[in-house]
Amino acid sequence: MLSRRARIILSILVVASLTFVILDLRGGDGPFSSARAAVGSILGGIQRGAATIVSPITGAGEWWSTQVGQSGQIRELTAENERLNSALVSAENDIARANQLDALLKVAGVGRYRVIPAEVIAVGPAQDFAWTVAIDAGSLDGLEDDMTVINGDGLIGRVLKVFDSTATVVLIVDPESSVGGRVAGSQEIGIVSGTGRQNSLEFQLLDPLGQVASGDAVVTFGSKGGRPYAPGLPIGEVVDVTGTAGELSRVATVKPFVDVSELSVVGVVVKPPREDPRDSVLPNAPSAIPTPAPTPTPSSSQEKETAATPAPSDG
Amino acid sequence: MAIREGLFIGTCIFLAVLIELTLLSRLGIPGATPDIVVVIVVAIAFATGPLQGATAGFAAGILLDLSPSSDTLVGVNAIIYLIIGFAAGFWLDPRDRRLPVMIGIAALSTAAAAFGTAIVDTVLGGERVNWAEVPWITLSAALYGALLSVLIIPLIARLARPLLTEMSVS
Repeated sequence: MLSRRARIILSILVVASLTFVILDLRGGDGPFSSARAAVGSILGGIQRGAATIVSPITGAGEWWSTQVGQSGQIRELTAENERLNSALVSAENDIARANQLDALLKVAGVGRYRVIPAEVIAVGPAQDFAWTVAIDAGSLDGLEDDMTVINGDGLIGRVLKVFDSTATVVLIVDPESSVGGRVAGSQEIGIVSGTGRQNSLEFQLLDPLGQVASGDAVVTFGSKGGRPYAPGLPIGEVVDVTGTAGELSRVATVKPFVDVSELSVVGVVVKPPREDPRDSVLPNAPSAIPTPAPTPTPSSSQEKETAATPAPSDG
Repeated sequence: MAIREGLFIGTCIFLAVLIELTLLSRLGIPGATPDIVVVIVVAIAFATGPLQGATAGFAAGILLDLSPSSDTLVGVNAIIYLIIGFAAGFWLDPRDRRLPVMIGIAALSTAAAAFGTAIVDTVLGGERVNWAEVPWITLSAALYGALLSVLIIPLIARLARPLLTEMSVS
């Protein structure tokens, strides 16, 4: 059996962790904000370094899976070929990142969001049932709580906690996330909630008689002051609608534009646009949209149109 | 607990947390994230004993809870991993240290960690757990845990051997 000393140590550890849970359950800043900040800066710094080392590996995942079938050929590769391959993968990785940054800049330019670029350095494990990631920008870069996080495809989530040089981002697919959404090209608004599955969101229409159909795009409605969500950001595409018009619970399933399993370069919106960009940020604006198709430099007619519609004040 | 043993456990836990959060959780593997942290905790418990396993589990859980990539309550992972580390070390019969037995216990432990998180989170009033997904997460966690432990249990046993002989001499 256990010695007396072992039993004492065990009881101390059990009591300590239970106390921590109870203290943290009380919410608010609590006694853990400084501990979190300390671990955040230490672990964040190391994770930033580690992410640079592993990024060719995580980026090469897709390349790898396509190569598995050709194992016979791979065996024939000489050491030089392997070296060339790894150089190619890291070059492809660099190009992919450059493209992602490009797309992000395009979204930021069209919608006139002021963004700070960052990179995802760590992801919470799936068995926590939370969809949260850590990024390598923090309060020193000007980040604050509840800022919108985007990439070149659209909305990713919002900043939950900020540390010195890292921040926690909660993704839109997290079950505790809910975003005010609007059907592009119409005034139908609703709430987009995460389901915990990476490729589906739930869009609850506020107006039970509202018109929504498969293929419609959903953009953010925008919160007051652009926090936590800046207006006009693409969220996803409606793939399924349950319930008929007039029914109390009309819920649409929305497939997010972003692939949350392959996040790398992201942008944090530090300043939302002065005017709601409406639907101009959508990748290929549907024909139903009254505004003209987005151009790299918005024409004056589009400016007038966006200025004519009052920006929603609350989300 | 000797200082060198503490350093060894601390280094293993730190590396495991780092690998899990920066590499394994980003690979986009279906189901659960391969839980290298639980496997290391269990391997430490096998190599050094239940008390060390419990301490390692507590430390690993606190580190995971405080990490900037997660949003769990501080202490939830700590209590789950603490129990797992203790149980794994306590359960293993010292006379029966065959690898398949240890792999089986490690697989059960990773499953218990995933299932335990779901239960604790729900009991504490969290709304994140989707119970339809829990069986699949638990099963995949056990599978990945078994695969990881094939490598990690012998590795930790090997690395811990000098510590143990030193302890028995002193």
